[in-house]
Amino acid sequence: MTRLPVNLMIGAVLVGLVVATAALSLVWTPYDHTLLNIRDKFAPASPVHWLGTDQLGRDVFSQLMAAARNSVAVALTAVFIGGSIGVSLGLLASAIGGLVEDIVMRLADISFAFPALLFAIMLAAVFGPSLTVAVVAIAFINIPVFARVARASANQIWTREYVFAARAAGMGRFAITRDHVLPNIAAPVIVQATIEFAIAILAEAALSYLGLGAQPPAPSWGRMLSEAQTLMYLAPQLAIYPGLCIVVAVLGFSLLGDGLRDVTDPRLVRER
Amino acid sequence: MIKASKLSVSLGAGQAVRDVSLLVRPGDRIGVVGESGCGKTMLGLAMIGMTPAAAKVSGSLRLDNAEMVGADEKSWQVQRARRVAMVFQEPMAALNPIKRVGDTVMEPLIIHMGLSRAQARECALSLFEEVGIPDPEARFRQFPHEISGGQRQRVLIALALTCDPGLLIADEPTTALDANVALRITELLARLARDRTMALLFISHDLAAVARSTEDMLVMYGGDIVERGKTAAVLSDPRHPYTQGLLSARPRPENVRETDGRRKRLPTIPGAVPPLADLPAGCRFAGRCPVEMSQCATVRPAEREGTICHQLEAAT
Repeated sequence: MTRLPVNLMIGAVLVGLVVATAALSLVWTPYDHTLLNIRDKFAPASPVHWLGTDQLGRDVFSQLMAAARNSVAVALTAVFIGGSIGVSLGLLASAIGGLVEDIVMRLADISFAFPALLFAIMLAAVFGPSLTVAVVAIAFINIPVFARVARASANQIWTREYVFAARAAGMGRFAITRDHVLPNIAAPVIVQATIEFAIAILAEAALSYLGLGAQPPAPSWGRMLSEAQTLMYLAPQLAIYPGLCIVVAVLGFSLLGDGLRDVTDPRLVRER
Repeated sequence: MIKASKLSVSLGAGQAVRDVSLLVRPGDRIGVVGESGCGKTMLGLAMIGMTPAAAKVSGSLRLDNAEMVGADEKSWQVQRARRVAMVFQEPMAALNPIKRVGDTVMEPLIIHMGLSRAQARECALSLFEEVGIPDPEARFRQFPHEISGGQRQRVLIALALTCDPGLLIADEPTTALDANVALRITELLARLARDRTMALLFISHDLAAVARSTEDMLVMYGGDIVERGKTAAVLSDPRHPYTQGLLSARPRPENVRETDGRRKRLPTIPGAVPPLADLPAGCRFAGRCPVEMSQCATVRPAEREGTICHQLEAAT
């Protein structure tokens, strides 16, 4: 057993922390994160309120926990939806080739050229800002990313001899795609998903910060950040805590993704 | 019954296979020999409709009554495995490393033959037994890296047999195996062809393997079938200068050492197979042939008793 890369282990610990917190918030938080307690506003950190309270007297630690859940849920849904559609398109392009491949990949190129934030603002303008808008926007920007990764990896698999042997045994393109290609591109797709997860968390925070994502009182690190902005001189910690949470989550998923890539791509490991 | 007439495969400016005519009846065992790059593999691929996208196939290839030259991938898919199946050279690369070998063999049974999983398992196990895999139940759950090269090749043969093909094309199935295992695989292929009255097209560099497993043989050079006949006859009395060169290049006890004990150099055919585009228009062997005549490079020799050579043409 070779030693696992350091970035993989640090990433796994940070991701574990975020995911565990999110899971725990489903069953327990110190306080209800929406509970107002104006008399106790701007309370400092203490055994009663571990990280103090905000301008409306809500418990900051409880809010951060609930926001972790929100972040993970949004990123998971968005990456899953975008990834499924993207991988399907990439596999389709690779299996059929020719004109279909060209069309799918050029469409992917076009959607790459489209700024994600602009797309989210457009959606919010049409449907009104909501968490669903954030999910759809993040899912959408993930489609071309996954389509490219899936197609590039799948094209490699299609040249393998076992695909040749399967063809010679009379299997069709779609059966080969399902039975041989998909399982063999799982590794790069999972690596990509982990990295996209980090980007999705950041994107959700950004959209909520701009007021296009989570609406009050729904918990969100981005929204907490934007609310704390006006109170920067009065209570800087209210901006620092959610900011730290975003850093930890994004860093964790990024490191985990890098680490997974190092592990699954033997060429990189040898260079180390 | 499979009938190729004037089957050609063009790759860019050159012809990898030129006007090959071939009749394969059930139970025929045909060896195909020749140097690397002489069109053996391309002929095999053309007969299963798997030539590279850049290749152009012309002429005629009839599988029973279906004309397959110009057929699309869908019609080929119906024919593959049922009428024609293929075993490849490299048994490690031809098995998906992340699938249990049993699953690999079950897939076409489920997809192609419409069997249930239980039936497919039954059928795959009996195929494993037929191709001589010991303890098939245990092998079934293993991954390709867990079994030896010979066993992998047996799995691939089982995979090729799933839909009971009329013709099995074996493209250098023993090249990647050591001599001992290669011999067993050769014998297995010959036995399967006999037991199932399945035709076998055995593509190989190994003249001994061809002698052991086939009844008829084709010698290919530069995309032409330069000589054909009963295996025993061709090997004992080669008529084409290329076949003669090929046979004399085998290591034999009497030509290993000189009378004074010095090592002899093995006879070779001088030169190498030219690139496809540079093949002579007449006899493909012109330029390397020891008995070349003036018209050889430009005029295509006609067939005389299975051999195409101007020398034989002149003699009759």
